[in-house]
Amino acid sequence: MDFSALNEALAFKSYDKVAGICDTLMFLAASEGVSYQQDWPYAIHLIGHIYVNDINSARFLWKKIPLAVKESQPEVSAAWKIGQRLWIKDYASVHEAIREFIWSPQCQGIMAAFSEMYTKRMFELLQSAYSTISIQDTALFLGMSEEDATNYVLQHGWTVDPASRMLTVKKQAVVTKQKLDHSKLQRLTEYVFHLEH
Amino acid sequence: MNLSMSSVESLVAQIHGLSSNIGELTQLRNYLKQCDDLLRTESTRLAPLLTELDPSVHSLGYLYILEACTSAPISKDQANKLVLSVARFINVCAAEQIRLAPEKFISICKRLMLQVMLLEDPMRGVAPLLTSIRKLQSSTEQLTTLHPDFMLLCLLSKCYKIGLSVLEDDIFEVDLPRDLFLYCYYGGMICIGQKQFRKALELLHNVVTAPMPIISAIAVEAYKKYILVSLIHLGQFATSFPKYTSSAAQRNLKNFSQSYLELVNSYSTGKVSEVEKCVEIYKDTFGSDNNLGLVKQVVSSMYKRNIQRLTQTYLTLSLQDIANTVQLNSPKEAEMHVLQMIQEGDIYATINQKDGMVRFLEDPEQYKTCEMIERLDFSIQRIMRLSKKLTTMNEVMSCDPSYLGKVGKERQRFDYDDFYTVPSKFTI
Repeated sequence: MDFSALNEALAFKSYDKVAGICDTLMFLAASEGVSYQQDWPYAIHLIGHIYVNDINSARFLWKKIPLAVKESQPEVSAAWKIGQRLWIKDYASVHEAIREFIWSPQCQGIMAAFSEMYTKRMFELLQSAYSTISIQDTALFLGMSEEDATNYVLQHGWTVDPASRMLTVKKQAVVTKQKLDHSKLQRLTEYVFHLEH
Repeated sequence: MNLSMSSVESLVAQIHGLSSNIGELTQLRNYLKQCDDLLRTESTRLAPLLTELDPSVHSLGYLYILEACTSAPISKDQANKLVLSVARFINVCAAEQIRLAPEKFISICKRLMLQVMLLEDPMRGVAPLLTSIRKLQSSTEQLTTLHPDFMLLCLLSKCYKIGLSVLEDDIFEVDLPRDLFLYCYYGGMICIGQKQFRKALELLHNVVTAPMPIISAIAVEAYKKYILVSLIHLGQFATSFPKYTSSAAQRNLKNFSQSYLELVNSYSTGKVSEVEKCVEIYKDTFGSDNNLGLVKQVVSSMYKRNIQRLTQTYLTLSLQDIANTVQLNSPKEAEMHVLQMIQEGDIYATINQKDGMVRFLEDPEQYKTCEMIERLDFSIQRIMRLSKKLTTMNEVMSCDPSYLGKVGKERQRFDYDDFYTVPSKFTI
């Protein structure tokens, strides 16, 4: 099987393309009747889906993996553990699942990128969902120690009340694009024309 | 009559000679149609002929011979070879050529499907069937008889995402009504698997309300799922059918879904405990219908629904009160539910952990952004296309003899201005 497209994507850090490439290659292998299951890079395939937050596809992929592979390749199960925790929305434990496994060189790059992206995503969620939150919970959600978490959020403009161990969230001002161009005028003309006829 | 050496040669020669343009291909097709019986009787000896043809250039000829070759029953060892040869042909064949003999093409695709199922490896057929649909279709608006087969393979092989990509096409032309029923039913199941409940509802709605002289098993199963998806997505279920539903469906579908309608009743109490009781009672029916997973989703959707209802009455509420009203075990659980709902866009709120309160907010969408305008524009364009199609259909129908015959007979019931040009006795 020719995995050059996949290796290229990993080398260029186009991690969002990994899942799509793996899916295409899998269909190709399947339609040729090639027995690919033993050598398939399931771990990377799973992580590819997790990276683009397509936990549905990760779930279905997990169901297809032969039991022998699940038992003999711990990295595959470790990758799925992350997907599983994302599925049940156990936000804090995802960081744990990422950290407790030593990832192979092939998976290290995408895992590191995912971890960073996930922390950022969690931060944005906390920012939009909370007005005040305890330091303890913030640390859990961001996968950091309480001190690191506090410093991280302080840098983003939050304030801390050391007495109650509470953080006050600073909301992000939402920037929206509202500029229009003349192509919209063209479209309005089309609508009116359609309505008149 | 035997397929002698000379007729084999002439067959190959004809295919070689008549494959360059549409005129020649039509001639070739007529010739091949005449040879059809011959091909069938000599099917076991045709395989070597395929090596003399290029499937991408001589697709039509190759198709006829391949179809004849594969018509004989085969053993399981040969199944692999068959699947491979058909899959490879589908990949390289020229679409314009195979469209001249659609029934032959459909025939080999269905054989591929059958063998792939017998080999218990449905995933092998997914990519080939997708390619075959795209080559067979005259446009993405046409539903071919291969669509439901493709959907079924996607379901069996758990390749939901690729199935979803086909479901995004708007269908306006259908070859056989049965195809539409199956396509929408399987399509609904794929959407459910991908948690796209709005689209699932639309597809299942099509099955339930499609014209049908008598109800079918597909319609019955679709109705059951329709009820469950409606509860998950809309939080309610309307037991009355739309006016355009067939009378067969209106009279009979409910009789087969009593346990589901009981679930609807328990859901409308708003109490999770009532719904759980109902699920326990009808657990076996739901299980044998393979709907237990969906039923579980119905139950968990109740918490969401109940929390959403609170936003209509309260501006702020404590996490403890939310937990009590919605029957959750602790304020922490309530907090996690609310957080998930905020993440998924099901609610607009902020949690104040210091005071243990939740403040409910208005939807901040102002509908003024460029992004929103793009979405509106997309929808308007889609509706305009639909409107144009309806106008064309209306014009075509108003020239239809059976329609005019009916109008002619009943013209006294209609406005004089609309139909005075139609004769009262209109016969062809």
